[in-house]
Amino acid sequence: MANSFEPKILAFLCNWCSYAGADLAGVSRLQYPPNIRVIRVMCSGTVSPHHLIHAFQKGADGVLVAGCHIGDCHYLKGNYMTLKRITFVEELLRFAGYDPARLHLEWISAAEGIKFAETVRAFTAEIRSMGPAPTFEATPRLALSA
Amino acid sequence: MNTKIKTLLEQGQVAGFFAYKRIHGVWYPYLFTKSELDQLEPWQPFKSRYPIAKLLLAKARQNPDQTFGVLVRGCEERALREIFKWNQLDPNRVVMVGQACTEDLAQTCECAKPFPDQLNYGSAPAGVGRQRRVAELEAKADGERMQWWLSHFNRCIRCYGCRDVCPVCFCTICSLEQSDVAPTGKLPPDTSFHLVRAVHMAGRCVDCGLCEEVCPAGIPLRALYKKVNSLVADLFDYRTGADDGRSPFTFLGDESRLPAGLR
Repeated sequence: MANSFEPKILAFLCNWCSYAGADLAGVSRLQYPPNIRVIRVMCSGTVSPHHLIHAFQKGADGVLVAGCHIGDCHYLKGNYMTLKRITFVEELLRFAGYDPARLHLEWISAAEGIKFAETVRAFTAEIRSMGPAPTFEATPRLALSA
Repeated sequence: MNTKIKTLLEQGQVAGFFAYKRIHGVWYPYLFTKSELDQLEPWQPFKSRYPIAKLLLAKARQNPDQTFGVLVRGCEERALREIFKWNQLDPNRVVMVGQACTEDLAQTCECAKPFPDQLNYGSAPAGVGRQRRVAELEAKADGERMQWWLSHFNRCIRCYGCRDVCPVCFCTICSLEQSDVAPTGKLPPDTSFHLVRAVHMAGRCVDCGLCEEVCPAGIPLRALYKKVNSLVADLFDYRTGADDGRSPFTFLGDESRLPAGLR
């Protein structure tokens, strides 16, 4: 059954760059795997760790966060916070025993439709090779056995 | 604690002073005012610990024009510095008087710096450098570590004790109470409950250990937050609770030291 595994990837795309980049990939008829579910956010800096960890908990196999390049942020410095936060959350996930490679940050501008398609292709392939994500939810059953 | 504190109160430098009062042989935090000077006892080392920085913050928020004094331990001094850096209190409205912890309290707390820089009472004991549990956890394999954490997060009864006692949890609206991101009526709460709290502790946690002490489920929260602290030190080159520097999540922008390998 291993080859029937289709990864579920949640993508948080910033409204000003990456979402437009995805749009460009679309109108340019670029092919990329249909495994991503896109959520448009106003700035990649608004993506809270709540959203990232909740996604993993609800069974996302990978989470992609994409925003404007450093210096191009519509809100001037929002993506600096993204970079700090994602780097931190990756390390925290590692300490919690969760593979941080399932969380990916990429800067994709509105002109980079090709980069968007490539990023999705590469990330989907990576998640596919990693297999389904482990359950990341505390359940009462485990408490009894521990 | 009767001489220095008495002087501060008598001279009117502070409207009130958060120190400790012995009631039935146990030290309790108490807000002394000028009219209660005779109740101040001479300082002696004791082991009781309270979130006194949080009491001060609550009082100072109600009386923004008044200056308060506070008797702090090492962790409480660090907590107040973080509260200053996060713009929750005006440093000019707080007078700190420091007390050292005892040797055995420092050992019990596994505290790296069991004394404040502003040390008025007691002599500084040696800090404990080791982080036993963090090292043990890092030695585990990833999957095993995850199961270890889940088996502990499982016991959470969502009492918010860790948040309520935390001296640096100063927010008036807590994201962990928003039902959209932390659904209510679910026990144990989502793993994100603890991990998000850990993210919020980045550049804030002063390693006082009160969260773990109050946790009725005995969740080893301190191991999580100790790791958070060392991550902040490694990634952002910031020592939480230090006198200088800016906490990495208090501001936007490139003034912070960004992690290596900019994309």
